Amino acid sequence: MRFYLDEYAHLNSILHRWHPAYKIIGLIILIFAFASVRNLVLIPLILIITGILYLIAKLPVSFLINRLQYPSLIILGIVGLLPFFSGTNIIWQYSIISIKLEGLQALLLITTRFIAIITITLILFGTTPFFTIIKTFRNWGLSPIIGDMILLTYRYLFTIFDQLAILEKSAQLRGFNFRKFTRKNLEVYATLIGNLLIRSYEQSHRIYQAMQLRGYGQVRIINNIINNSESDSDNDKIDSQLIHKYFNLDSILLMIMILISLLIVTLEIIL
Amino acid sequence: MHISEGILPAPFCLAGYAITSLTTWHCLKQINRYQPSPDNIPKASLLTAVFFVASSIQIPIPPASVHLVLNGLLGVILGYYAFPAILIGLMLQAIMVGHGGLTTLGINAIIMGIPALIAHQIFHLRPWIYHRFHIEIKTSILAFFAGAIALGLSTFIFYILIITNLPTNFNLDIEKNMIYGLIIAHFPLMILEGIFTAMVVLFLQRVKPELLPY
Repeated sequence: MRFYLDEYAHLNSILHRWHPAYKIIGLIILIFAFASVRNLVLIPLILIITGILYLIAKLPVSFLINRLQYPSLIILGIVGLLPFFSGTNIIWQYSIISIKLEGLQALLLITTRFIAIITITLILFGTTPFFTIIKTFRNWGLSPIIGDMILLTYRYLFTIFDQLAILEKSAQLRGFNFRKFTRKNLEVYATLIGNLLIRSYEQSHRIYQAMQLRGYGQVRIINNIINNSESDSDNDKIDSQLIHKYFNLDSILLMIMILISLLIVTLEIIL
Repeated sequence: MHISEGILPAPFCLAGYAITSLTTWHCLKQINRYQPSPDNIPKASLLTAVFFVASSIQIPIPPASVHLVLNGLLGVILGYYAFPAILIGLMLQAIMVGHGGLTTLGINAIIMGIPALIAHQIFHLRPWIYHRFHIEIKTSILAFFAGAIALGLSTFIFYILIITNLPTNFNLDIEKNMIYGLIIAHFPLMILEGIFTAMVVLFLQRVKPELLPY
């Protein structure tokens, strides 16, 4: 499936081994640092940092190119005309078409930020199983309603795509022409989506019953019982364990990400 | 209707996350008050997946084709679950397809989610409309307005954010005229979305009325 997220989550790189909680915080801070960049001088820096992180993650280049194709078209559609309309300093002109310096600079800045942020996002989701990321958010206090909805939606997305393909094939076999725009065709599309909604609604009842049989909704009570019966043994830790707890590879990598982000923000302010 | 990464400055993105968090908190409170059954979670999840898939269907409008947004339909059917559902749908679209973005997740959720909640409130008027009107007429008219207004609002917020944040050096009048022009250009799409929403809701009213609230 081309939407499948965990294709390369099984690889073994330093970023794959980085604890998911530290990784999410570190990379999200880096993403927001990239989003705050407005100075063109910092563009090579953010591209180099992104490139180094992607190399360390050992993810294939084809993975990046594959995922960048579609969103690149969208971003170019939004900002592609900026060099022709934005700014006053003309650097090239032919007849009525002129390219302006400020527009070109804006295009470069937005495109670079876009590529850098998408690449870091791919590193985050490519090196960590999706379920692990959601579990981490749940540990941080994400609402159980939203957590369950994310996991169920992700799980059933592929099933729904298959069901839609079957419905479309059935319509085609009965003579439906997808390329015509008529009121009747619009009714058929509406019926298609309505059918998909009804099938999913009925399927959700069966899914809920299956989940109930497997203890859905009861696990929190069991977890509370387990948590309340554990004894507090913090006072028994020795110094070397404390050092190991706070200065391991995960926290060092997080500190490096925070320092890089602070450097970018500081340079942005100074420049 | 999705804003991609890198277009909006960081303060906008953070403000978007703040407003989205507040709206999500409010929706979860309303869900716990009015729709507390755990049965609703698988239902909302599967319908979220259906909307994710349905919004990838291309309706041919010569010479091009359009994706329907369907946030009005989502608001009508899911009620207060619509905002978390849209948030989740946008997150999965950003991660899996690259449509939208993670920094702009908050902003995109506002663009699509708040109009969905407004569509829900419009459809909420169904029991209050004059009871002599046939149920199908009431349903289709309210669903049409829910779908059209949801898309209109989404378009309005989207273009305001894009035009005011792109470095185009246009003056205020030109920006205002651009926004009005783009919204007027979307009127046919609003009508199409309204008609489509009304058709789907009417189909559900006839075949599975318990899927619709009120």
